[in-house]
Amino acid sequence: MKIKEFVKYKMLLPVIFVALFGLSLVFDSPSNIYTGYINILKSPSVLISDYVRIGGLGATLFNVATIILFNIIMLKRLGFKMTGPIFAGVLTIAGFSFFGKNIFNTLPIYLGIYLYAKTQRLEFRSFMIVVLFSTGISPIVSFLIFGTGWPLYIGVPIGIIVGTFTGFILPAFSAHTIRFHKGYNLYNIGFAMGIISMLYAVILHSFNVNLNVGGPTSEAYHSELLLISLGLSTLFLVGAFMIDPNVLKKYPHLLKSTGRLVSDFIRDYGKAVTMLNVAFMGYISVAVLVILNLEINGPVMGGILTVMGFGAFGKHPKNALPVMFGAWLGVTITNYSLDSVGMVIALLFVTAVAPIAGRYGVIIGVLAGFIHIIITPLAYVFQGGFDLYNNGFAAGFVAALMIPILEAITKQKPEEDGQ
Amino acid sequence: MSKQEIKIITKIIREVTLYLMMHGFKDFIFESKNTAKTTQLIITLDDTKPDFIEAMQTKMNRERQMEIETYGWELIGDIDQKNELEIISLLIDSMDVEYTQSKTIITLTRTNKYL
Repeated sequence: MKIKEFVKYKMLLPVIFVALFGLSLVFDSPSNIYTGYINILKSPSVLISDYVRIGGLGATLFNVATIILFNIIMLKRLGFKMTGPIFAGVLTIAGFSFFGKNIFNTLPIYLGIYLYAKTQRLEFRSFMIVVLFSTGISPIVSFLIFGTGWPLYIGVPIGIIVGTFTGFILPAFSAHTIRFHKGYNLYNIGFAMGIISMLYAVILHSFNVNLNVGGPTSEAYHSELLLISLGLSTLFLVGAFMIDPNVLKKYPHLLKSTGRLVSDFIRDYGKAVTMLNVAFMGYISVAVLVILNLEINGPVMGGILTVMGFGAFGKHPKNALPVMFGAWLGVTITNYSLDSVGMVIALLFVTAVAPIAGRYGVIIGVLAGFIHIIITPLAYVFQGGFDLYNNGFAAGFVAALMIPILEAITKQKPEEDGQ
Repeated sequence: MSKQEIKIITKIIREVTLYLMMHGFKDFIFESKNTAKTTQLIITLDDTKPDFIEAMQTKMNRERQMEIETYGWELIGDIDQKNELEIISLLIDSMDVEYTQSKTIITLTRTNKYL
C-alpha cells in the first residue's frame, strides 16, 4: 500500500490507535496500567469521572486505544467505508474514553441496539450512527453496578438489563428527538440520552440512591495531553497535504456548509479537505485553552477529540468560533466561572450548536453560544450525570428555542431558477 | 408496505415538493407507484433548465446509506433552505431523467427496506 493510500485508509484511525497504545506504555509500566485499567472498569463513570485521575494516564490511554480498536474492528467486519458521521463517532468514543466510557459499560448498550435491529428486521449496521454515539449513556451501566452500593449479584444484572434496554429504545427515540431541534444540535443522541437519563435520575432519586458520585479531575498531565492534542492535529494536517498538496485551495468550499445534521464532509469535500478541517478544529480547541490559561485533564481532552471528530460531521472554524466566543462571553459576564471543569468543557462542546451560526450568521451564533453556556449546568442537574453528552442535552434546548423563532423571522423568497 | 416505509415515502414527497416550489415550479404532476418491494416517485415538470436538473441529479445520485436513514429520516421534509435535498439523496436508490418535447420526467426509485 502506497503511503498516500495508507494515510487515506480509515482517516488515520489505526495510526491513532497504535500511537495511543504505544504512549500508554511510555507513560506507565504494564502492571500500573493493569491496576489503573481495573480501577477504570470499576469506576461508576458518571459525569465527571476523570479516568486520568482514577487510573493514571497510561491506563487511560490504554482504555482509549482499546475502545478505538474495538470499534475499528467492528466497522471493518461490518464493511463500512469511512464517512463523516462514522469518523466523528469513533473520535467521540475515543474522547469520552478519557472520562466515562470503557469496554465494559458500552457493550450492553450495543447489545440493546442489536436487539432493536432484529425486531425491525434490519441489519445492525443500519443503526451504526446511533451505535457509535449511544455509549454516551454507558455510565448508567457502571453506576448501577459500582455506584449504588448494591451487592454485585443485584447490581450486575440490573446494570446490564438497564443498559440493554436503553440501547433498545435509543434508535427510535433519537430519530424522534432530531425533529425537536431540526438538526441544529450536532449531539442529537446526547439530547435523546439526556431525556432518558433524566428519567433514570428521577427513579433512582425516588429510591434514595445518592447520585453524586463524580469526582475531582487531574491536571497533572496537562503538558502531555497538550502535546498529544497538538500531535494528533498535526498528524491530520500532514495527512491532508500528503493526500492533496492543493488542499488549502479547496478548503474554503467546506466553510460554506451550515453544518446542519446530517452533513458529511468526507462525502461532500473529500478526505484531504476534511482532514485539514479536523486539524484546524484541533488547533482551535487547543488555542482556546492556552489563551484562557486552562489546563487539560481527561474531560477536556475528551472535548478536544470530540471537536476534532466533528470536523468531519458539521463543525468548522466559521461556524464554531462564534458559538465558542458566545460561550466565553457567557462565562465572563455572568456569575459562572472557568474554575469549574464543567464550564471549561462547555467552551468546547458548545460547538454542538455550531450549525446555528452556520445558518444564521455570527451574531446569532454568539447568542446561541451564550444561551448554551448558561443552560448547561442546569441540564446536568436534570439528567444526573448519566448522559456524558450533557452539552448535547443542553444544546437540544438551545436549538429548539431559537430555530422556530429564527425560521419565522428569516424570510427566504422562492427563486424562479428552476424553469 | 409497512407503516414506517409509508411514513418515509410521504416525507420524501413533501421534501421534493418543497424543493421544487422553492425553486419556482408552480405546475407539476407527482405520481407514486408502490409495490411491496419498490416505490417509484414520478415527477412531471414543464420547461426545466438543464442546469437545475443536472444539479439535482448530482445531489440525488449518491450511494444509499441506511445508517443515515435510520438516524435522520425524521428531518426530511423540513427544509427551510432551497439548496438542500442532502438527506433524501441517501434514501433513494436512483434518479432517472427523461426528456420529452416539452416535459421533463424525473423518476425516483427506492427499494423498500422496512418490511
